[in-house]
Parts: sequence; C-alpha cells; structure tokens
Amino acid sequence: MSRHVRTGVEALLIIVLISSGPATAPASAQSAEAVAIVVHPATEVEDLTFAELKRIFRGERQFWENGRRVTLLIRAPVAVERELVLDRIYDMDEDSFREFWIGKMFRAEVAAGPKLVYSAGTAQDLVRVIPGAITFVSVADVNSETKVVRIDGLLPSDPGYPLR
Amino acid sequence: MRRPLPWALTWVLCLAPALVAQDPTAGPTVQAFLFGDALYTVDDGDGPEGFKLGQIVAHGNATLSERVLFFGEMSITARSTGYGLGMERAILRYEANDALKVSVGRYHTPISYWNTAFHHGLWLQGSVARPEAVKFGSRFIPVHFVGAMAEGQLPNSPVFYQVGVGNGRSTNIAGAGDFGDVNSERAVILSASLRPASLFGFRVGGGLYFDKVPSADEVDPDERIASGYLVWDRGSLDLITEYIAVRHDRDGSSATSSNAYYVHAGLRLPGELRDVTPYARYESMDIDATDAVFGSVIPDYEAIVVGIRYNFDALATLKIEYRNVTADGGEGQSALFFQTSFAIPMFGG
Repeated sequence: MSRHVRTGVEALLIIVLISSGPATAPASAQSAEAVAIVVHPATEVEDLTFAELKRIFRGERQFWENGRRVTLLIRAPVAVERELVLDRIYDMDEDSFREFWIGKMFRAEVAAGPKLVYSAGTAQDLVRVIPGAITFVSVADVNSETKVVRIDGLLPSDPGYPLR
Repeated sequence: MRRPLPWALTWVLCLAPALVAQDPTAGPTVQAFLFGDALYTVDDGDGPEGFKLGQIVAHGNATLSERVLFFGEMSITARSTGYGLGMERAILRYEANDALKVSVGRYHTPISYWNTAFHHGLWLQGSVARPEAVKFGSRFIPVHFVGAMAEGQLPNSPVFYQVGVGNGRSTNIAGAGDFGDVNSERAVILSASLRPASLFGFRVGGGLYFDKVPSADEVDPDERIASGYLVWDRGSLDLITEYIAVRHDRDGSSATSSNAYYVHAGLRLPGELRDVTPYARYESMDIDATDAVFGSVIPDYEAIVVGIRYNFDALATLKIEYRNVTADGGEGQSALFFQTSFAIPMFGG
C-alpha cells in the first residue's frame, strides 16, 4: 500500500471512529476479560517479556529490532482495556498518565505521545497499516487478521497471562 | 472528583489531531504545548511584591521523518523593562536507535536533574520556583548549553548516558555561548543515570562538566562541576535530592570548591484529596569566598520551602508556598507566593 493511500485510509478511519467513537467503546470493554497485545504484521516479534512490554508502552524503548520506530496506539479514556493497561503496565491513574506523557514530550524524551483510538476495530485497523505500531484490544475483539504477541510466552487464553 | 467528560475531552484535544499522521514515515508531524503561570507575592524583605505574569512558554516536538526530530522551546518573560522573548531550547536530533541519538542545538545542561526534568513550564514542577542553584539566570551552574550531544541507553542495561561538547559559559557566566565560544576551550559534559526497569520511577545518576570560565583576567580559570542525584517519582511520593560541587582553579595550585544541595519531597494525598500535594524543600549553597569566579557574586544561601499544590483542573494548578531565605548568614527573609500555572495542548499535522 502506498504512503498516500495508507494515510488516506487512516484519515477515513479517523472520521469514522470520531463519528461513532466513544459511544461504542463501553460495550466492547464490558466483555473484556484479558487484553491482547497486537502489533503490525511485519514487526518481527512473537513474544515479549512483560518487562519489555512495559518499557515499550512507557516510551523507554522506541525502536524495534528491525529499526522501525514504535508507534503506540492507546484506547481513549472510556475503555475498560485502557484502565487495565494503565493499572498493570503504567501503574498510574489518568492524572499521572497525562502528566507522564506531557513530561516526556516536554523533556524531549519522545518524539510524540501515544496516538488515541476510540474502538477495538479502529485499533486493529490502524495497527495493520502503520509499520511499527503496537496496541491492545480486548481478547474478545481480536479478529483473524491481527497479529497477537505472547507475553512472557503466554497467550491471552493461557493461565497466568499478565494482562487479565 | 474528576469529571469523566472533561478528562476524555482533554485526551481528545491532546492526541486525536495527531491521528491523521500516525505513520511516522508519512511526513512531518507536530505536537505542541503552551505553558504559562501567574504569581502573587507577599515579601517581608526587599523582594518585589504584588502580581507578576510569569513565563509564557511554547514547546513543540516535530517529527521530520522516522529518525529526524526537532524540539523547540521559546519563552516570553515579564521583566522590569517589559517582556523578553527567549530561545530556551532548540534541538535537532537524529535517532539511529535506542542506543544512539545524536543532536545539535541549545539544551538545558544535563549537569542537574532538575534542570533537565522541568524546563520552563512550571505546571510540571512541584514547587513555585526552581532551587536557587539551578534557577534560570543562575551563575552557579551553566543552565544552558549550546553544542552537540550524543545520548541513549546502553543495550540490555538500565544505563542511560549523555556525552556533549559545546561552547560553555558566555562572558556573562549566567548565559550560554549562543554566538560562539568566547574562549578557545570547549566545554565537555558527561552524564549517566541508572533507571532499573523493576523500580519504575527510581533514578540515580550524575554528571561531570569541564570548561574554562571566561574571565577578564589573563588566565581563564578551569571549571569542573560534579553532580549526583537520586529521584523517586512514582505513585504518591515525589522525592528529589541533588548535590552539585563546582571547582575552580586559576593556576593549578589554588583550587576552590563551592557546593549546593537540596532535598525536595512531595506527597500526593489519597482518595478524595488526591489533587492536593503538600511539599517541602530544604536547599543550601556554600560558596568559597575566595573562589575566583563565584566569590564576589554568589552569596551563601539557605532556604526552607513549604507549600501545597492543588490541581484544580486537569491542566491547571494552584501552588501556595512559604519560603524563608537566609543569604550570607544574614537575617532570614520570608515570602509567601500564590502561583497558578497551566498547560495547554496544541497540535498540528
């Protein structure tokens, strides 16, 4: 897919997600039991340690092994998946999370903050078209085209999976 | 206490516009913030009283391509003669990977944790003002640094480093060498920090800075600055302690050493009071009276700071602070500060 086409697809998706956005999020969030970590299909990673996942989501690791920059996609505040990720990965509430990212940008520690997405469908659509992208979705919302990454060798359905 | 709708709105304002350029290879993107503050002071000494508009600070991060970034920070500052426009930071950086990021520009010198953690936006920092040793306009350390820097994280380790070479202090030692080095000796900065992944929020580190200080005398004194810090910035506790020693030596046999340190602690209250953070700081500067650079221009300094920060809105805060300052062993002077500060997310695409 060419760059221009890809950007156009993203813009279209954004219009759709903004128009339908937050109102649809709680329904999928309520069914969430475990949260799956998903990446762009070309990202050469099958398994991450939980510690490494934290470093990626906290903006401490900004590049994949293949040299691609990590692009973080984060669900909007209304999503239950977001609450779980803030609790388990960031160990922060919304106040601290906001201040954390503004601080990182202000300190020139990151090029940009995480990108906001409003639904599981949009998160998966975008993660498939943005090289280096990583996001999280409720395991109930994962579709067949999404590349799910193991955490500490575990899939979301496995006992002991850390994002449950 | 927080209302869900404004929170969601905050995030939409912050981040949604950047969505149209999520692919970092798709072209330049910009994310920007505006910071500002206003201050009311009651002072029992000779300090200025009344209302003061603090700094209005514009900060922007531009992603020019996947590996080339620009960070800029400009300020408008109220002065006795009017308002001054300043270029605080301007950094063009090439990021090869996590281990190597090379940049050129104007920085806040990484010889002090506070100097590189809070910059000019007062909304982020936990008190009304910086510690005296690292305040803007300080002569104790070179707050700004014009030069080039390499930085990154050592592979498979919790060690972060910064190495830089630059112009060093200007003729006015509180200023940076913005228009070239005023002597033939470049300043060199080395700093490192340890940030264990298992102790998120904990950071211990320090730095070394070497230069020759511009002087009206025949020989420019050697300057060597050594610093160390320990920080815990997680959960409800915010703890920062830092020590900085500055050594000057004019002729190789008459070295003097001056030092400064501070301990700052804030504790965010639990539950319904979670928007309230009481804080306290003790700071001290001990200047060698025979120091060839500082002796006649920087007094010994001691301060006790007690305050309370109240986040009355998602991106706005009120700080009320009492400060008692003793300079050169004289009588202590007290002041009370009321400061409101804010951050406004702006954006581009």
